[in-house]
Amino acid sequence: MRTPRILPLFALALLVALPVFVREGFYLDMLLFTFMYAAMSVGWDIMGGYAGYVSLGHVGFFGIGSYVGGLLVVHYGIPVFLSAPFVGIFAAVIGAGLGWVSLRARGTSFVIVTLTFTYMVQLLALNWRGVTGGSAGLYLPLLDLPGNLVILPFYYSMLILLVVAILVSIAIRRSKFGLGLIAIREEEGKADGSGVNTSLYKILAFAISVSFAGAAGALHAQYLNYVDPDLAFELIITLNLIIMSLVGSRGTVWGPVLGAFIVQPLSQYLIYLMPSEIAGQVHLIALGVVLVLVVMFMPDGIITTYRTWRQGRGETRSTGTADATDASLPGAPA
Amino acid sequence: MSAPEKAAATAHDQAQQSGRDASVCLAVSAVDKSFGGITALIDCSLEVKKGSITALIGPNGSGKTTLFNCITGFYQPDRGQIHVQGVPIAGRRPSDIVHLGLMRTFQVTRIFRRMTVLENMIVPVRQLTLRSLFSAAIKGHEAQRAEALLEFVGLQNLRDQPAGSLSFGQQKLLELVAALMAEPDVLMLDEPAGGLNPVMIDKVAGHVRELNARGVTFLIIEHNMGFVMNLCDPVIVMHRGTVIAQGTPAVVREDPIVLDAYLGD
Repeated sequence: MRTPRILPLFALALLVALPVFVREGFYLDMLLFTFMYAAMSVGWDIMGGYAGYVSLGHVGFFGIGSYVGGLLVVHYGIPVFLSAPFVGIFAAVIGAGLGWVSLRARGTSFVIVTLTFTYMVQLLALNWRGVTGGSAGLYLPLLDLPGNLVILPFYYSMLILLVVAILVSIAIRRSKFGLGLIAIREEEGKADGSGVNTSLYKILAFAISVSFAGAAGALHAQYLNYVDPDLAFELIITLNLIIMSLVGSRGTVWGPVLGAFIVQPLSQYLIYLMPSEIAGQVHLIALGVVLVLVVMFMPDGIITTYRTWRQGRGETRSTGTADATDASLPGAPA
Repeated sequence: MSAPEKAAATAHDQAQQSGRDASVCLAVSAVDKSFGGITALIDCSLEVKKGSITALIGPNGSGKTTLFNCITGFYQPDRGQIHVQGVPIAGRRPSDIVHLGLMRTFQVTRIFRRMTVLENMIVPVRQLTLRSLFSAAIKGHEAQRAEALLEFVGLQNLRDQPAGSLSFGQQKLLELVAALMAEPDVLMLDEPAGGLNPVMIDKVAGHVRELNARGVTFLIIEHNMGFVMNLCDPVIVMHRGTVIAQGTPAVVREDPIVLDAYLGD
């Protein structure tokens, strides 16, 4: 049942080398967005999959990251490639604050608070005109690179973001902290009674979870050279993260990655195929259909369903090594 | 003053002093707890001596589990004080109380069903440190202890199975040994023999005795009188939310107040 170690490394090498062979902006752009969504979805899953707390607020942190990264470029000339990690940390601090407010209680209030948070920061971006430019948005200076190369720094920085997100997720899944998060998802009261400080664990997990959205936001702002309140806080971004996690398998390291690599290219290709007047709507409808189909026919997502199926065929799970990452974990809690 | 009131008053005095008494690892003094109009605990006081296997018995609805929930931080008492290892626990969350060295099991067995047996063992935390949090979970000393404890109750061959696939009795044993992973000084068991067959009950009793010999103090809620009378001393009896009697099994068994509580009304 081990995910072969060599496969991810091979995939990584391929993706690193790809721009040498593929020069078409369309494909690099598609991959870049796939990396971005995969990184954010891996982050989302740390909270939504491991701990079982569904956040509808990740786009809020994406938006905050967009503005903070953008403002740092506009006012201080700090390129997003340098600031992105710190923007991620900044998002984590805000996330810890929001978590402190909403996560000390158990249950569903968290969902509502995170959704509300998204609208609050969006309103702030809209009305704090002196800083954000309001609805007119914020223009970032263009990168000083030839047109055919300008995509590369974004391609590679999004790829790095994804690799970091995966490594963090693996480390958490293998740690006692990660087991504590899963314990919270399974039986929160029992976890607390086992010495797991559930509030602290959840706040920490949420902070880590949103940091990738923050960093991605900063990079995204520079990629488009523009931020505005609609673009930065589009709720569909959060929904994308959730759908990707669900498709791939919630609560696994690779589920969100797989989900992103399926959903994002399909979305983008669909938009490309459709006439532009209806592309947006068709895309949304398609996402909705995917979500319904997954929930109805494969609620555990691809990876967990596959693992269960293989076990059903008499495959024994890995024995001998006590490697927590390999323990097949049914993903979606009801 | 009627006899039960007298018993309660004595226990109260004892408990008030024993907050600081080193030989007492758990002291409950004058705790009240009600839910809406229902009074679950009223002026409830008791103490548990270090190294004892203390039983907590009483008819259904006498407040035993509510008291457990107050002691372990799941409920906040309306009034009164509880000391664990001499530390007042008012306002502390359940995980803090585990860090003080007190751990519990639940009446309806609670395990992490979709985790493996071994993972269940690794979840409990006695001391929260950054290093212990972010180092690999199943490794080193802790993993060895987990393996040894699983072997102790004969679950070692099931360590990689999902905990939910174990039989009812095995799940009870798993909950018991998982609790031990937090290295508790005091272990509170809520009906450890409930629903088990006689062979299994003997097995649990044997484990309790052996752990007690290694220094773990027990407070056990149990309805199985054979189990209680063979294993526990002292026995504390609750009725209608308060302590009405305590003493050796022999004394409690003969106590008219206790007989009345069980047979009366």
